Amino acid sequence: MEDANFPVRHRKFQLESKGNKTEIVICSYEDHILVIATQIGAMGTILHARKEEGMTVEPTFSVSVIFGKRDEPTLIATARRLIDHISSFVPSKPLVLSLGLKDHSPETLKEIVAAVIENRLW
Amino acid sequence: METDYDQVLRSVAQVKIAGDDGVKVSCFTEVLDDVTLHFQIIRLAKQIYVWIGYNSAKFGNLYAAASTRPSNTVSVTSVLGGTSDNTGSGIARRLVMKTGLNIILACNIPKNNPLLEAKAEKMLIRKLIDLGYTMPTPLRAT
Repeated sequence: MEDANFPVRHRKFQLESKGNKTEIVICSYEDHILVIATQIGAMGTILHARKEEGMTVEPTFSVSVIFGKRDEPTLIATARRLIDHISSFVPSKPLVLSLGLKDHSPETLKEIVAAVIENRLW
Repeated sequence: METDYDQVLRSVAQVKIAGDDGVKVSCFTEVLDDVTLHFQIIRLAKQIYVWIGYNSAKFGNLYAAASTRPSNTVSVTSVLGGTSDNTGSGIARRLVMKTGLNIILACNIPKNNPLLEAKAEKMLIRKLIDLGYTMPTPLRAT
């Protein structure tokens, strides 16, 4: 479902996880990647993640919740996992991740991460 | 004030958000004079995400706006980026006022450009009405 002339590419798909239908949209902007994963029909918690330019050999990442639940470490871990993957392909693009989920279990989030990576636009 | 728009809104007041509950993505581009505006509308069941691109595909600043209790006044907050000039926050707020929807807006329109803001808003509202996303009873500015 991509319009070739529109400057922002996007991909939309869905997956089933623990009986919940999860709809996922991935959009690739010039300077950001946006991933929306929703089970509740809303964007839910929004996170921002980016790779830090640092002096160390190991890459460092900055991940934070910018809107919504700040007490769910699984959401932060998900953003961290995705920015790790994104930055190995496009190091300068931060991630805006929206997770509107009914269940925050690690299994569900792993499935979401796998599906996003499989359908990635970076 | 956009009295034509008020009339249009009243006449389409029966329009509901589309029946299928899947996520729907709409993208379109409008060219005005020497400026190209890109629009992306992602409709979720209870919320609408909008991106407005000014001549580029940069993400811009992110705002969230919705009508809030107790009196349904519209509140808007800057979620990512955004200076105190807040070009996008005004648009987000007015979108909620005119359509009654829960809005997340990403916008990279530069500041000090009220005419462009107004035009972008107008195009967006027209499209939201065309797509049938406006709520039956839009809020009014207080």
